Amino acid sequence: MTQNIQTIDVPIAEPFAEPLVPPSQTPYVERPHGPVGRSEDRIDGPEKVLGTALYGADLFYGRADCFVSVVRSEPAHAEIVAVDPSAALKMPGVLGVYTHRDVRGTNRQGLIVRDHPVLAESRVLFRGDAIAVVVATSERTAEDARRAVRVDYRPLPVVADMDAALAPDAPRLHPDGNIMGGKRIRKGDADAALAAADVIVSESFCTQTVDHAFLDLEAGIAHYDGRTLTIHVSGQWVHEERRLIALALGLPLESVRIICPATGGAFGGREDISIQIYLGIAAIQHPGKTVALRYSREESMRARHKRHAMRIYYTVGATRDGLLTAAKITVFSDEGAYRSTGPAVCRKAASHATGPYRIPNVSVDVYGVFTNNNPTGAMRGFGACQMAIAYEGMMDRLAARLGIDRLEVRRRNLIRSGDAVTTGQRIPIATAVECLDAAVRRLRQCPPPRPTDPHKSRTRPPALPPHLRRGVGYSVICFGLGYGDGFPDASRARVGVSDQGRIQVFTGGVEYGQGLITMAAQVAAEELGVSVRETDVVWADTEQTFESGSSSATRQTYFTGNAIRLAASELKEQLLDIASKLLGVHPHELELRDGCVVGRFDPARSVPLAEVVAQGRARGYSLEATALFKPRTVCEDFDTGQSPRAFITYLFGSHIAEVLVDIETGEVRVDRYIACHDVGRAINPQSVAGQMAGGATQGIGMALMEEVVNRDGRIANPNFTDYILPTFRDIPPVECVILENDDPGGPFGARGIGEPPLIAATPAVLSAIADAIGVHTHTTPCTPQRVWELLHPDEAAVPPDARFSLAPPHARLER
Amino acid sequence: MFSQPTTLEEALDVRARCGPDLLPIAGGTDIVVAMNRGQLRPAGFLDLTHVRGLDAVRHENGRYECGGAATHATLSRLPVEALAEAALSVGGPAIRNRGTIGGNLVTASPAGDGCVALLALDADVELAHASRGRRVVPLREYFLGYRKTALLADELITRVRFPKDWITAWYKIGKRGSVNISVVCCAIGRSPTGLFHIALGSVAATPIRAPHAEEIVNRDGLTDGAIAEAADAVRRDISPIDDHRASAKYRAAMSVTLVARLLRRIRDRVKEPAR
Amino acid sequence: MTPEADEMVAVELAINGKPTHLVVRPDETLLFVLRDSIGLTGTKGACLEGECGSCTLLLNGAPVNSCLVLAAQVHGGRVETIEGLAHGDKLHVLQRKFIESGAAQCGYCTPGLIMAAKALLDETPNPDEETFFRGMEGNICRCTGYTSICEAIRGAAREWSR
Repeated sequence: MTQNIQTIDVPIAEPFAEPLVPPSQTPYVERPHGPVGRSEDRIDGPEKVLGTALYGADLFYGRADCFVSVVRSEPAHAEIVAVDPSAALKMPGVLGVYTHRDVRGTNRQGLIVRDHPVLAESRVLFRGDAIAVVVATSERTAEDARRAVRVDYRPLPVVADMDAALAPDAPRLHPDGNIMGGKRIRKGDADAALAAADVIVSESFCTQTVDHAFLDLEAGIAHYDGRTLTIHVSGQWVHEERRLIALALGLPLESVRIICPATGGAFGGREDISIQIYLGIAAIQHPGKTVALRYSREESMRARHKRHAMRIYYTVGATRDGLLTAAKITVFSDEGAYRSTGPAVCRKAASHATGPYRIPNVSVDVYGVFTNNNPTGAMRGFGACQMAIAYEGMMDRLAARLGIDRLEVRRRNLIRSGDAVTTGQRIPIATAVECLDAAVRRLRQCPPPRPTDPHKSRTRPPALPPHLRRGVGYSVICFGLGYGDGFPDASRARVGVSDQGRIQVFTGGVEYGQGLITMAAQVAAEELGVSVRETDVVWADTEQTFESGSSSATRQTYFTGNAIRLAASELKEQLLDIASKLLGVHPHELELRDGCVVGRFDPARSVPLAEVVAQGRARGYSLEATALFKPRTVCEDFDTGQSPRAFITYLFGSHIAEVLVDIETGEVRVDRYIACHDVGRAINPQSVAGQMAGGATQGIGMALMEEVVNRDGRIANPNFTDYILPTFRDIPPVECVILENDDPGGPFGARGIGEPPLIAATPAVLSAIADAIGVHTHTTPCTPQRVWELLHPDEAAVPPDARFSLAPPHARLER
Repeated sequence: MFSQPTTLEEALDVRARCGPDLLPIAGGTDIVVAMNRGQLRPAGFLDLTHVRGLDAVRHENGRYECGGAATHATLSRLPVEALAEAALSVGGPAIRNRGTIGGNLVTASPAGDGCVALLALDADVELAHASRGRRVVPLREYFLGYRKTALLADELITRVRFPKDWITAWYKIGKRGSVNISVVCCAIGRSPTGLFHIALGSVAATPIRAPHAEEIVNRDGLTDGAIAEAADAVRRDISPIDDHRASAKYRAAMSVTLVARLLRRIRDRVKEPAR
Repeated sequence: MTPEADEMVAVELAINGKPTHLVVRPDETLLFVLRDSIGLTGTKGACLEGECGSCTLLLNGAPVNSCLVLAAQVHGGRVETIEGLAHGDKLHVLQRKFIESGAAQCGYCTPGLIMAAKALLDETPNPDEETFFRGMEGNICRCTGYTSICEAIRGAAREWSR
């Protein structure tokens, strides 16, 4: 008998949407009938597959006149005694060596507090602090000259970790001491509730330093013509970079222009200023020349900020039935040498400390601690992802302690629509339970065929060999979108129409792979009744676009999507007004559809958009519109951390991981992966699934392998040989389940997707490992060694009780 | 200076004349990495990728004889399990297409996967000089210390010879599913006469053999007790260190685990009827 | 720094079918010569140590990391890069499938992935899972995850065999 093997052409990434509320019952938003909701091809797809998209380093060819390199600190903590460039200046081809003395502005950088000298003045605080900028006629000469610049240091004691920083006799890294600041939440009476709890579970967690590891290394060019400094470098917030560069280098704001080239990933790693400012320093010194700079991987890793390593002390109290009554949480966060985004990360960690769980009594203290490690700053899911590891770890522990099913404990405590999160903000549409249930339903279905091998049987072997254990893990998370916390958060967009009738969208947001410009085109095209192919997007050029805020915080779809929709809607009014004169129909009775203006009630009355545009031009219409989307949030109270609206809206998601663990070696393989997110509305389902799969991949990397190893202020693994990322073999097909429950304030009901997939992934994998080996994890990443050590605690390199030698929280926050 | 000979004689001649001034290079998967990191700036190169026949593998009298420039990709297709799997575990296909066994032996990294597999096959390495001729060194005598080998600065690795029909097994612990630097790797080869050759990587300053462990199984065979005893004895053969890749304790424990695991695997194979 | 004339090496090779004469420094990598000397910037550098595959191109039909190949070594060789894949306006099937499957997000790993996938499918038009992984495991994607990429390559494989 021959068996026919059938190839089932079900693409795994094809998400299936499950609206929880029938569309007819969602009162909030108009149903899209155009490109919104469709998996339109990315508008930057062709140039990316052809290799013609120009990234920063691709701009060198034919343009670069001279090359820049940066002299960096070798010690992690030292006073600078002298900088002697004379040997470098004698080298043929060296055009100049510049120090802070040559910087005409404030010489300060920093996203929240400008506390970081662009070029070090008297002291260096981490191994990688920039000291001088070299300009030469070739890249190799610039490199040689960099090495020839002599810097004399007076070494200072290195504060290598938070224990050292908090020691009583620790050297002070900043004038106010080594506690950068922090955040607290006081809700109810956590101590009293813990005292009264039926059961108390305590654990401490240790998360690692993570590198963004975007593939597209920092690279770009700059040119100064004596009036305008033009910089082509990838960033995440070009308008802020302009402000910062103008201030630091002493130029008027309007003299700085930033243009973002194609950008190969960012993940928060391009939020702090990087090579832009060194290029600026060099360009100003060499007017008329195009200067170029690119980092090696090692320099990129040495220079750039990182994800905060955190130590989290977590105690929960619950009833016998598993209802949470209290949580007391203390977090120490390694800020590294400068603040960067640290204050926001502390705040986010506090507001997300208990995730999607309903806990009446909560006490949270988060402290940022300065060390001589790399500054730590923004990275996808910052603050929230570390806390998710902790709160999901606690749910598994509570379930184990009470002998209740892990899913059941979660369901009993997850917030429902109308409940409040820990900051006191009520969430009108909370779909945490729905996400979990949808993910579990998916788990019960047979996994789809793997694209890597559609013929391979996915039935499990009946028995595993004795050294392998299977485990399944769950996570449920929530995430507040946008900056939140009362911070002014806004996006401005402009939409116009060209003489040829093409729609032009202008946004200051950065396309770094997440699909921003395709989203922008889809929203504008939807509103204006055209196709995406008739829409162009101009982005991230400070001269051509208005400010849209940073491309971070999962905020661009919500903020810029809304701004574009509003601007397009304004433009639409003009177009309908013009058409109404042509057709003799009241504008309110007209609509834009398929590139024409047609009568709503009399489709026979119709005029092509191009003709409307021509008539509009003739009649003096501007044919463009701008709009600002600026919703308000309310700053959290200093003493209690409470706010009626800390974040503009919340996102929910749930992941499930199945792993196989080799209990003899500690090796872990993720065997099946399910990601479910409620995104409000998927403007482009394929893009949403791409963000889910990409975020999950980074989260799995954080769970299993990624770790920047800091040793005495030195990164031991500043390269991809030892800073390892997940490969094809490490990630099973990510099965995406997209839930769509319209957000009343989002464009067409959309919320966002950027960060939550990473946040949910790490705890799901950790939970699966714990399920497989019967021991809970507490330290990330769970490398084979760490998994093995969980099973052999006596053999651990770091004894378990020495993991946290920090004194109990003694630091006090001052107003 | 860049020399690109097409014959071995020419290559040996250049090597003898220029010695350390011209760095022999084949796949460049170690050398160019060091150059790109700014750790190495060679004055010139002796390119071995155009030397005819240096990348070939021949089969003779039950032994394979492979040229010094045979790539990992070539080795991965040989029916010698430990070596093929070790070669497959080196990087991705692009690395395997360029990286060579000779390069692996010259670099002599303690984590050199190919070196470990060849040690378990009790391989010989042929070192050649233009005028002094060729000398054959047993691989177990080739590694002298941390990245120090018996290769002289005016010699080239011309051949590596190893048996074809041994029963072998390989395991490498890395931190992810592929493209790993080994945290610990182990290869075991059993000769037709029943002698065991146990080799490990990343547990000492060089890839090593494990004589204490070998002695036990060579004496007692593959009983459960002997396997356990041999695996435990491997602790006396290794001298692992703590570094950013793993702790010494973990490496020691994994040496024990892998030796036991691979000995059991070989026992299962020996029981199988010959193919 | 201008190297002495006798330090330079003349290299004859074919790039995307076009005979090309180059004069290079002995220590220049193929990646940087292609990108900085002749402007073929489609091939990307990311780790410069053979760990990520972004710089993958085909040398004599086989995938190599161009960041680790000295340009001078390629004398007499045949180099295929991402720029040589499309025929005029007509995208190569892999390029088309990468767009259709949403397999290119930030796009930085895409040229290397497509070249590695081409080498895989050239040799094995319908790879099983192990062959698939062996062909692709040297290429890292940091932002898209691998699901849609696997799907794109499998989609191309279906048309490849036809």
